[in-house]
Order: sequence, then structure tokens, then C-alpha cells
Amino acid sequence: MAIKFEQVSFQYPSFDGKNFSALENINLEISDKGEFITLIGETGSGKSTLVQHMNALLRPNTGSVTIYGIKIEKNTNKNKKIKLNPLRQKVGLVFQFPEYQLFEETVLKDIIFGPKNFGVKEDEAIKRAKEVIKHVGLTEDYLGRSPFNLSGGEQKRVSIAGILAMEPDILVLDEPTSGLDPKGRDALLELFTNIHKKLNKTIIIITHDMNTVYKYASRVVVMHDAKLVYDGLPNMLFMDENIEKWNLDLPDIIGITKQLEAKLDITFTKKPHNVNELFELMKGVL
Amino acid sequence: MNIIEITDLSFSYREDVDALHNVNLTIKKGEWISVLGHNGSGKSTLAKLIIGLLKADSGDIFVDGILLTEETVHEIRRKIGIVFQNPDNQFVGVTVEDDIAFGMENLNFDRLDMIKKIDEFSKKVNMNEYLKKEPHELSGGQKQRVAIAGILAMDTDIIIFDEATAMLDPKGRESIMEYIRELNKEGKTIITITHDMKEAVNSDRIIILKDGEVLAIGETNTILNDKETLNASNLELLLPLKLLYKLDEANIKNEKVKDILWQLSLNK
Ligand SMILES: Nc1ncnc2c1ncn2[C@@H]1O[C@H](COP(=O)(O)OP(=O)(O)OP(=O)(O)O)[C@@H](O)[C@H]1O
Ligand SMILES: Nc1ncnc2c1ncn2[C@@H]1O[C@H](COP(=O)(O)OP(=O)(O)OP(=O)(O)O)[C@@H](O)[C@H]1O
Ligand SMILES: [Mg+2]
Ligand SMILES: [Mg+2]
Repeated sequence: MAIKFEQVSFQYPSFDGKNFSALENINLEISDKGEFITLIGETGSGKSTLVQHMNALLRPNTGSVTIYGIKIEKNTNKNKKIKLNPLRQKVGLVFQFPEYQLFEETVLKDIIFGPKNFGVKEDEAIKRAKEVIKHVGLTEDYLGRSPFNLSGGEQKRVSIAGILAMEPDILVLDEPTSGLDPKGRDALLELFTNIHKKLNKTIIIITHDMNTVYKYASRVVVMHDAKLVYDGLPNMLFMDENIEKWNLDLPDIIGITKQLEAKLDITFTKKPHNVNELFELMKGVL
Repeated sequence: MNIIEITDLSFSYREDVDALHNVNLTIKKGEWISVLGHNGSGKSTLAKLIIGLLKADSGDIFVDGILLTEETVHEIRRKIGIVFQNPDNQFVGVTVEDDIAFGMENLNFDRLDMIKKIDEFSKKVNMNEYLKKEPHELSGGQKQRVAIAGILAMDTDIIIFDEATAMLDPKGRESIMEYIRELNKEGKTIITITHDMKEAVNSDRIIILKDGEVLAIGETNTILNDKETLNASNLELLLPLKLLYKLDEANIKNEKVKDILWQLSLNK
């Protein structure tokens, strides 16, 4: 296993002594061989906190996270004995807010910062930047611009490009598609799918979009109130009656199919997975 | 009566590139309009021009009959609340409470009234237990909720939501939408900038921007169903409308089913 959480709990410290419990007894294993995981759950349930443990940006208060054989515990690295750099190259993390990640004068400098930091030569890093900027749906013209003078969605795309250029084995993306236009969202999800399939890498995406979960994920993890409450297949999740309680929703294809069945007072012979399948089923009964 | 009138509005951040080009738009009092369009199409720029945070290169903006100028900008800002795309841009206070109060302070709300409103609106967005926390101690969705509460508490005639629910969970998003519907029924003018077609369904009209220009503007029902136009600005058809298109393409004429699909697309 590339990443293993064992009985991990985490509290955010607070000045008034009332520490805030954000993770409680999390057990989780992630392989770096071609998983496509979506991490979902209500606002404030602990998703961003959880993924920041995956490259040792945060350390558990109790329990341990083992990342590529390196065990991270509460007091690990107080004296900087362990080099965390290699871990961060293997597990690339895109933050929920792109501006936490953008700080250079130009988009180009921002994108090559990661690879250079991990020992990639400047000209190779620049070559990669020119590639990845296109992959996120922007043009080379953007490379010379300031990352702060971009629209919200453009900033998001640049922050994703920066991680792609690092070529990590595991890509962890905290709400990569919020704020993207629908076509941009689909194109990026296809890009992640390609990386996952062709390069056999693992993708972990935090999202509130149930369509993304249903269409792309091979595994879904649900957080609720600092606890991990579900870890399994997406289509099983959407049959679980707890989804209401977990503040989740049905993917459009499931929701609309159910409503159509109710309004037409019929039951389709199969469960459609996409709009084409649903259309074929409808043709059959019309 | 038109509460907002925009004529021939142009603006550029950089030489030779217009972020907005010759935009014309009128919004009636009490209307709800959605602003859609691809990343970088100019939606947030338009919002910032309306509240006078940016100054137009050419063109006029009237709010409630008043021409926006350096002299009138403060008066106009009292009429418009805006929830910014990035909640961090809105936080200036030390605690969540301060941040909810900030907009009201600018409008010179009475102290006691403010305390009442902080309580009322923090509850409305489910953040009443976080009032003493600092904004950087909040999750992404919690920040958005706080930003929304601060603007709602100001009780302005016009409210602009710039992708204000993008990071909320499905149930949280629906409850905010429900509240916006209520506000709109009470007569407030609403402008929602969004990429989510399910949100856009709520509005009376939709304007679509593309590369800084108005690509289309019209009744929500018309625009929602206009596949080519949506496609041209990176947008998508709602699932029931995709089915409608397929029925048409296959020449299947079943009015009952078509009607049901329409109802479903409008969330009914
Ligand atoms: N720096 C911090 N200090 C104190 N508490 C924090 C801090 N960051 C987050 N929290 C709290 O920890 C809990 C989990 O936050 P986290 O950011 O992990 O949630 P999330 O699931 O990512 O939510 P969202 O979907 O809104 O982004 C929240 O209740 C939040 O208020
Ligand atoms: N501060 C700035 N300086 C220079 N150019 C900018 C600045 N802010 C935005 N732009 C550019 O102006 C154009 C319009 O940006 P705007 O933020 O209005 O887009 P948007 O429609 O809100 O996009 P998004 O959906 O990504 O939020 C974009 O091409 C963007 O790159
Ligand atoms: Mg988060
Ligand atoms: Mg914007």
C-alpha cells in the first residue's frame, strides 16, 4: 500500500484549549496502482483535513499515516530527520483554494516551481509547463501572465497544471472542478481518467458533484462528522439510505430515472448508467 | 421599472484585450437574472463594474436611476450586496462574527439590531456555533456560508452571488437556493453568477457571456433549451433536456413525456 491510515485522529489546536476534532479514528488504505477515488461528504466533515495527511502537511495526533514506507506520527519530524520532499513529489496535492498555491510573478514560474524543487532541470520543467498548460485548457499566452490577474476558474486551472508538471504517482485534488465551466470540468475529468488508465496512476478527488462520483470513480469514500462512514463502490453508495443524512444527493441519471418511473408509472427493465442508455429504455416503453 | 441599466459597457485590464466589450443589459426591479459563460468570459468583471469596484473604460451604469460615478459610488453600494467568488476576499475581521457584521457596519446599522441579525443569519446558514472562530479556521464551504450570511444581513435591494455556492454540499446548496427564492419573492433583485444549470433554472432570465461579449440573453426557458448557444460558451444541457433532444432527433412525438421532461428540467 502506498498510503495507509491507521486509527488516525486529528484535532486542530485552539487558544482557548477547546481543540477541534476534525478526524476520528480513520482507517484507510490507498494503492498507487490505478485507483480513481472520490472523497465526498458534507461541508466541514474533514475532507480537506484528511487529504493534507496524505503528504504529511498535517500529522495525526494519534495513530499513524504510512506514506511509501515512511511512518508519520504525532512527533515525527520534530527535528527534521526525515526528508519529506520525496513524499511530496510522489503524492501531489492541489489545494481547495488555488491562491494558497500560487505565489510567483508569472504562471510559468509557478508551474515550474514544483518540478525544479524536486530536481528537474529548468529547460525540462519549462517544456513540461508548455505541455500541461494546454492540458488544463489554457494557451501558452498565459505562461507570461501574473497568476493573480486571472479569473477564478483560470487560477484553478493553473494550480492544477502545477501539480501535473510534477508528475506525481498519486494526484490528490481538493475540489478541482468547483468553479470550472461544464466543458472545462468534463475535459479535466477525462484528463485525470487518462492519467489513471494509461499511466496507471492513482487519482483522488474531493468533490460535491455526485455525477462525477458516479461517472468516473472506481471507489468512493464518504466523510461525515470527522468520521469515515463509507468506503466502497459508487453504485452501492447511491442505494444506501444514509445518503440523505450524509447531506449527499443522487447523481442526475439516477434521480431523473426514478422520477421518470414515478411520473410514467413504469419500471424500467434495467438501471441506465448514462443518458443514452436511459433513452434506449424510454424508446422501449413509448 | 429598471433597477439596473447598462449601456455599451467596455472594460479592459490590459491593453488591447477587452475583458468586457459593448455590454448592454437592463434588469427590472424584482427580477432574478443568471449570468453564465466560460471561465474568463467576464462574469466577475461585470459584477465588479456594477458595484463600482472597477471603473469602466466606456459606457454607463445606472442603478436605481442613479448614474454610477465617483460621486455616487458610495450611495450605490448601499443598494447592492455582493458575495464574492472567493470568500477570503471578503474577510477583514478577526472573527466570524466580525465578518458577518462588517457589511452592516458599513451601512451604519444600529448596534442592537446588528447583534440580532448576526444571530439570525448565522443560524440561517448553520454557522452559529462558529461565531468566535477565525475565518482561516473554517473549511471551504463554511467560509462560503459566512460570506453569504454577511451579505444577506445587509438587507440590500439588489444581491449579487458570484458562484457563492460552488463549494457547498448538495443539501447546503439547495437550502441557500431555497432562501434566495424566498428573497426574490419578497421583491429583491437577484443576480446569480454560476456554472450550474440547475441553479440557473430558478431565474427569470439568463445572460450568457462569451469572450467579454453578450452571446445571448433571454427568458430562462428559451436559453436553457438552446443547445448551440450553450455549447458555444462551454455550458451544458440539463439531463432531461438532453433526452428531449434525443426524442426530437428520433422523431418520437409523445407530448405527455415531453411535458414531463420539461417539468423535470425545471425541477418540478
Ligand atoms: N485551521 C483550522 N483550525 C481550526 N479548525 C479548523 C481548521 N481548518 C478546518 N477546521 C475545522 O475542521 C473541520 C473540518 O474541516 P475541513 O476543511 O477538513 O472540512 P471539509 O470536509 O474539507 O469541508 P468543505 O467541504 O467545506 O471544504 C471543520 O469543522 C473546520 O471548521
Ligand atoms: N486582475 C486582473 N488583471 C488582468 N486580467 C484579469 C484580471 N482579472 C481577470 N482578468 C481577465 O479578464 C477576463 C475576465 O475575467 P473574469 O474574472 O471576469 O472572468 P469570469 O467570467 O468571472 O471567469 P470564472 O468563471 O473563471 O470566474 C479573463 O480573461 C481574465 O484573465
Ligand atoms: Mg475542504
Ligand atoms: Mg468569476
